[in-house]
Amino acid sequence: MSVSVTTATSAPGAPEDVVGHRGWFGALWRSRNGRIGVIIVGIVLVAGLLGIWGITPYGPDAQDPSMVLKGISLSHPMGTDQFGRDVFSGTLQGLGVSLEIAFLSVLIAGVIGTIGGIIAGFLGEWTSAVIMRMTDMMFAIPTVLFALAIVTALGPGIVDSSIAIGVGWIPIFVRVVRSPVLALRESDFVRAGRVLGFSRLRLLWRHILPNVAGVVAVQTSLALAWAIVAEAGLSFLGLGPPPPTQSLGDMVNNSSSLASIAWWTLVGPSLAIVIAVIGFNLLGDGLRDASDPRTRTR
Amino acid sequence: MNVVLAIGRRILSVIVTLLGVSVIIFVVLRLLPGNAVSASMGVSEGLLTHAQVAALDRYYGVGQPAVQQYFSWLHAILTGNLGVSLSLQKTVSYLVGLDLPVTIELAFFAMVLGIVIGVGFGMWSALHPGKWQDNVGQAVSVVGLAIPSFILGTVLVVYMSSKFHYFPSSSSFVGFFTNPWLNFQQIIFPAFVLSLGIAAAILRTTRGAVLEVSGLNFARTALGKGVSRRAFIWRHLFLNSLTAVVTMSGIQLGYLLGGTVIIEQIFILPGMGNLLITAIHNQDYPLVQSVTLIFAAGFVIVNMFVDLLYSLIDPRTRNR
Repeated sequence: MSVSVTTATSAPGAPEDVVGHRGWFGALWRSRNGRIGVIIVGIVLVAGLLGIWGITPYGPDAQDPSMVLKGISLSHPMGTDQFGRDVFSGTLQGLGVSLEIAFLSVLIAGVIGTIGGIIAGFLGEWTSAVIMRMTDMMFAIPTVLFALAIVTALGPGIVDSSIAIGVGWIPIFVRVVRSPVLALRESDFVRAGRVLGFSRLRLLWRHILPNVAGVVAVQTSLALAWAIVAEAGLSFLGLGPPPPTQSLGDMVNNSSSLASIAWWTLVGPSLAIVIAVIGFNLLGDGLRDASDPRTRTR
Repeated sequence: MNVVLAIGRRILSVIVTLLGVSVIIFVVLRLLPGNAVSASMGVSEGLLTHAQVAALDRYYGVGQPAVQQYFSWLHAILTGNLGVSLSLQKTVSYLVGLDLPVTIELAFFAMVLGIVIGVGFGMWSALHPGKWQDNVGQAVSVVGLAIPSFILGTVLVVYMSSKFHYFPSSSSFVGFFTNPWLNFQQIIFPAFVLSLGIAAAILRTTRGAVLEVSGLNFARTALGKGVSRRAFIWRHLFLNSLTAVVTMSGIQLGYLLGGTVIIEQIFILPGMGNLLITAIHNQDYPLVQSVTLIFAAGFVIVNMFVDLLYSLIDPRTRNR
């Protein structure tokens, strides 16, 4: 769960003279999108963690027959559902499940995709050609359909959903990482390292990897936004983790039949999805601005 | 001659890609546990003798080595019946023949709407950078990108049916040639919901491309020599941004095809997405693999045409 966050925080991104003493976070904070993104993602993560740890105003399954389908009030900020359950508590818990799956799937895609991209960019022509050809083929299958096919094979579950969503995103990480590696391979400092007799592994680990951390961080943030939507979509279709685990997609699906008499049951989980997606997208934009001095003025 | 050669090479590359795609799909689905033949038989399975089960397994190709199964699937694709569905006991080509037109119609309308909305607001934004028109465009793109289509679709269905008691999909789907007006009503709302996501991406691309082109020397020259505003916008700015817009539209088709699966569920359309979900719930992997392959083929083939379009749009790419 924390791995993607640390990838983002360890992004050196911009050169020292541009970023100055404030480091990567200062550069991120200076971009308007980045600032808003950091705040929204911060709130979303805290809310999700509260959901995961079960620190919610009511138990998510606590039913109250006297409070069935009540609208928004002080004690129930998002109203209650047909069993008198608090929608706000349910949303926090659902957000927790959605974030778990999103982070796990992006971890899978990010690690495999980054390694694949570095190998494709750094090793010989032949290896590169094979990897790129494979990513082309994976690209040809729309990501949602890829996820559906994998779910068919694995069945539903938190880990299964994560694999299903993550695999489709691997080729995107491969492509994004490969092109800077191609450029870095021919750069002076890497050549110098090669002349000095550094091992391939050292060159990759110490010289190449830190320099692609920026693009990986940007892609991680955008992938998280997409993974949240994809997970919600799978759950909406009834192909997410089985009950009693409820993600935001399940909640949207369950409330669609209620929404005409109790619109608030739809609003809570929908809002959580939309806010999380906007947050991660803005954070990604901000990270891009911060890691690329050329776009910072825009 | 050169053109024919180029097209031939593209087609060859598409075939190679699709072969690879078929292998990937097959490998992914081979992880499938359980026996779909007995699953499709349900309760009545216990009534079958061992010999009957074995005969069924042989008929559906269960229990053959994986490589042999792959090649019999490939044979089924090339001969045109696309395999036999385990749960519906029909050839996949028959089922697809019923459902594909619905999805093609939906995707077509969504694509057209997406391009019209995206290019329209994108041009409008780019022609007034920093003004309120630009903000409207940005708002449309944020909304389109951030609100998943299934939420928008659910909200639209709930709102229309509860406030206006209007839900054209509640009567069963009719084909275009049976009742064009009802068909249009049933398609246009899901198409609109689907189109917003791609419209947002096309909007951003259009805005970026037009802004970039309008900063170039030839654009300033055109304005300086007094080209009319209309001609300037459409001939000079729009035509020169078209390559980027067309590329983005081709890429977005992938998201659109994925989106049809969910949207068809919400609006109860009997399309390919509906077929796929039924197949997944029944663990009907011959059906799942063929439907997924058809989606991928649609995406790859349309993008091949997009590539060929470049040389029509942009004469500079012809000599490459």
